[in-house]
Amino acid sequence: MPLWWLSLVGQKKTNMRISYNWLKQFINIEESPEELGKILTDAGLEVEAIEKHESVKGGLENVIIAQVITCVPHPNADKLRLTTVDTGNGVVLPVVCGAPNVAAGQKVILAKVGAILYPVGQTEPLKISKAKIRGEVSEGMLCAEDELGLGQSHDGILVLDTDLPIGTPAAAYFNLTTDYVFEIGLTPNRADAASHLGVARDLKALLKKPICLPELDHFKAGDNKNLVKISVENSIACPRYTGLVIKNVVVKDSPEWLKTKLLAIGVNPINNVVDVTNYVLHELGQPLHAFDLQKIEGNQIIIKNAKDGDKFITLDGTERTLKGTDLIISNTTEPMCLAGVMGGKTSGVSTLTTNIFLESAYFSPETVRKSAQNHGLKTDSSFRFERGTDPNMPLFALKRAALLILELAGGEIASEVQDVYPHKIKDFEYEVSCGRIRRLLGIKVSDDEISTILQDLGIKINNKEQDILQLSVPPFKVDVQREADIAEEILRIVGLSKVELNPYLGANYLADFPEKDKDKLTALLANVLADNGYNEIITNSITKPAYAEKIKSLDVSQNVDILNKLSEDLAVMRQTMLFSGLEAILYNVNRKQKDLKFFEFGKTYHKTGDKYLEKNHLVLFAIGNTTNESWIEKPAPIEFHDLMKMVQMVIQKIKIKDVKLEPISDEVWIEGLAIVKNNKELGRIGKVQNALLKFADLKHAVYYADLDIDLLIKQSETKLQYEEISKFPEVRRDLSLVIDKKVTFAEIEEIAKKAEKQLLKSTNIFDVYEGDKLEAGKKSYSVSFTFQPTEKTLTDEEVDKIMQKLIQSYESITGAVIRK
Amino acid sequence: MLEKIKALSTEIENYLISSKEDLENYRLAFTSRNGILSQLFEEFKTVANDQKKVLGAEINKLKQLAEGKFLMHKEIIDAQEENNDTNKKDLTLPVIPNQLGSRHPLSLTRSRIIQIFERIGFNVSEGPEIEDDWHNFTALNFPENHPAREMQDTFFINKNPDILLRTHTSTVQVRLMGRQKPPIRSIMPGRVYRNEAISARAHCLFHQVEGLYIDKDVSFSDLKNTLYYFVKEMFGKDIEIRFRPSFFPFTEPSAEMDITCLICKGEGCNVCKQSGWVEIGGAGMVDPNVLKANNINPEEYTGFAFGMGIERMTMLKYQIKDLRLFTENDVRFLRQFSGVV
Repeated sequence: MPLWWLSLVGQKKTNMRISYNWLKQFINIEESPEELGKILTDAGLEVEAIEKHESVKGGLENVIIAQVITCVPHPNADKLRLTTVDTGNGVVLPVVCGAPNVAAGQKVILAKVGAILYPVGQTEPLKISKAKIRGEVSEGMLCAEDELGLGQSHDGILVLDTDLPIGTPAAAYFNLTTDYVFEIGLTPNRADAASHLGVARDLKALLKKPICLPELDHFKAGDNKNLVKISVENSIACPRYTGLVIKNVVVKDSPEWLKTKLLAIGVNPINNVVDVTNYVLHELGQPLHAFDLQKIEGNQIIIKNAKDGDKFITLDGTERTLKGTDLIISNTTEPMCLAGVMGGKTSGVSTLTTNIFLESAYFSPETVRKSAQNHGLKTDSSFRFERGTDPNMPLFALKRAALLILELAGGEIASEVQDVYPHKIKDFEYEVSCGRIRRLLGIKVSDDEISTILQDLGIKINNKEQDILQLSVPPFKVDVQREADIAEEILRIVGLSKVELNPYLGANYLADFPEKDKDKLTALLANVLADNGYNEIITNSITKPAYAEKIKSLDVSQNVDILNKLSEDLAVMRQTMLFSGLEAILYNVNRKQKDLKFFEFGKTYHKTGDKYLEKNHLVLFAIGNTTNESWIEKPAPIEFHDLMKMVQMVIQKIKIKDVKLEPISDEVWIEGLAIVKNNKELGRIGKVQNALLKFADLKHAVYYADLDIDLLIKQSETKLQYEEISKFPEVRRDLSLVIDKKVTFAEIEEIAKKAEKQLLKSTNIFDVYEGDKLEAGKKSYSVSFTFQPTEKTLTDEEVDKIMQKLIQSYESITGAVIRK
Repeated sequence: MLEKIKALSTEIENYLISSKEDLENYRLAFTSRNGILSQLFEEFKTVANDQKKVLGAEINKLKQLAEGKFLMHKEIIDAQEENNDTNKKDLTLPVIPNQLGSRHPLSLTRSRIIQIFERIGFNVSEGPEIEDDWHNFTALNFPENHPAREMQDTFFINKNPDILLRTHTSTVQVRLMGRQKPPIRSIMPGRVYRNEAISARAHCLFHQVEGLYIDKDVSFSDLKNTLYYFVKEMFGKDIEIRFRPSFFPFTEPSAEMDITCLICKGEGCNVCKQSGWVEIGGAGMVDPNVLKANNINPEEYTGFAFGMGIERMTMLKYQIKDLRLFTENDVRFLRQFSGVV
């Protein structure tokens, strides 16, 4: 699940399979596979799974060598025999056997009661239990090869010619092995660990045990008569190239032990020569390639860049058009191999091959990465070269592979070892401070411990002065080039669990918090909205280009388009919050959820010139009824004022005072209000245009508010100061005004505020009448005014005077008629 | 007369009132306008003046006794009546349903994370979602040829210069280092994008929270301490935490953070692939190259950074198994979070 850093930065770990038995060839391991898995995980080689591999399924548990003591015909069946078998330690069991070849004295394989076998060709396992066969007790089964899952033969039971004592497990007789394969998620910095040797090197430091490399003592090179001429034309892309010739090999299937090893780590056996190269790759991390010597035209190997447009068929059968950046291994006439990535279809080793040229090289990571990318190839070889192999390994690996080939395919090394290595790649040399490492990690680890760990990891310490170590880091540690990297090596070997926790959290520095904390204020608003029945939604900010086209005030040229869009529906960043909200509404309406109140904090995205603008919004949506069906009151359809009430609570909650409401009608809202403060629009609210709803497939009225959350926060007052409560009573007076329908309450309120600046505390409306008792085009507003004196009690005369002023204002400004 | 008062006093004390009728009879007999007490007061008017003081006091006492008894029993009997009322309202009738709204589960997680880190002095910072190559990659020590820079992982808005939708909130680290000198102690929640088709387990957008602390002598131990505190606060004291070495371009050393699987409590289940652990994020010491790229002297300052998936934590916390639920906004899903604190 791509939800955290690692997968986000696009570097998924690469799975690598490492065999437990194979590791044991390098280092003495006493830990169980599970224990070892934990040790590796803690050291940064994350074991994602451990797989059990048995060369025979079930591992032949409860199956032993036994000896037939007596053998007589079954009294009730012609084809069956009754036998007694000695199972060792003097235990003799009766076994009924159907095989014609069973006879007294034979050493045979007995599956005891409790054994589970997986016979060849059968899907169900065979469980051996105590049984009565035609009236005779049988405690086990004498087995044929196929019944054991070992082979196809069913020509009677296996009769052994062995000196092994009776009772010996069959697994020992057949040399059965059980292996465990660790599936390791390799992080990109651990090129050094992409082999069994690499993992063993970590174990050396972790388990504090030596590792032993394969023996090369028997290696004996040939003479200079059979040399293949090697010319490296691009020594930057190919800093080192080694090779040798082996003649008179017999290419055939590999022996079982090699097949088993390769299969365990998921590599398909091909033939003995190719299998050896694969084996050494996984053993030492050094990719190798074997060419059929006959195919090397001109007896010459040329390492050079391809010509743009050259054709080349790789061994997967695909014809590829090469690029100038591709490094190829070529003979005098044609390319034979895409260097470090994949060999050619014709130049490789086949069963007809008798003489081979074996290559072991160091190619630069950049070159191989480019080639692999160019051709969309990812091979075991390219994967290692891309991350960086060990430039000191090619020669060793070449000799190792040559010896294995001689062992498995015969033949003799016919040439000298050639090693083209003009510029030796040096160790990384730098110094580190043990004290700084300790401080960075916050752990107690002595200078000596640090030195030991580094040396166990193959890093040389050239000199030590006080706490400063002069290091030589071998180039196979591709990612260990600085003090911070050394600190990581120390940390992962010591173990992250060894980093002690302090009893308290450090508080040397605590961050400042802004006076207007956007995050706190939005959380506050979100809670007010949720407490009042609104559900918060989160919608996709990537959307359809068609939406912006629908609203003319949105400039399509300001669309932030995605070059590599997922689909036509997910192609552009939204310029309006409206449609993603309507999509959420539609989703619910389609599921019979029709009374909806939503809010969302989100962004819109706009391009202006070469600048990109992100605007923060708070939007509210309401559709359907105000409440669900209830016995208390009939549900009423949501109206403008239901949404407006919520918007006003929002405004109140973050203390924005004295907003003006201005009627609007635009291409988004059929009718609505703009909320204005200090000539800046905080937002708009109203009923959404039918054409937009129709475009969004909605049939019901939607009320929608779009607020500029940044502006809201900017305009909010952070200070609250207590106001003295007046000792003098407030006075209320009412007026009934008959006015033109176009006059708004906002205007009525504004007029009152202007007419009486000092004493007017609030203006409220408690009745609205529009009907046939009034002239056409008129309405009646019953308005109350509350006056609050601060210095003395108001007399009736004083109030009357104010009211007179108000009446005059209404009459003159709005043409109101006062109803008595 | 004194005897009469005493006799009446005894009579009143012994009068048995157990029903509404008894109470009415008592009232008629003693305290009503025509009751014995009224008569007694009439008689009192005729008493000689020198006796009035003594008798008056006695009569008043009697009156208090009689009225006191009446009131006391009236209260008892009224209460009994109320309890026996057969016309009582059905108070179990439901209120108007769905009056409470809800916050989105991702917002709940985000808020919770912020609260926890605020308590230990981390403020909240933000940055743009549309970013340039520098903030998303270069300043974070991504090498030029890093696979993340290729088309397949990142949504690009423009090529040359590269403008993209940020793939991680680590961009805000760079923004922050650009506008504030150390010390820095901040968390950065936000939306990030990735070029992935939408499915139960992948989405083209999701949310992360990044943390950054840079000061003199900040150590890996501080990082571990901080995240231990966070996890225990977020998921509970019984949740264990495990750090594993890992790799990110912008931290060195780096670690991944696992917590006890919340589903099986570490026993092993499908969610944790039988391991008992689930991964919640990455962390590490800010790579010296990142500090340098942002004009902070790595010799003077060190720092730690961490990143966690908000969806991931939300899914673990509420056992949500499909990522799409977060952006479908099914109100039947959303309403389940109305009661979350």
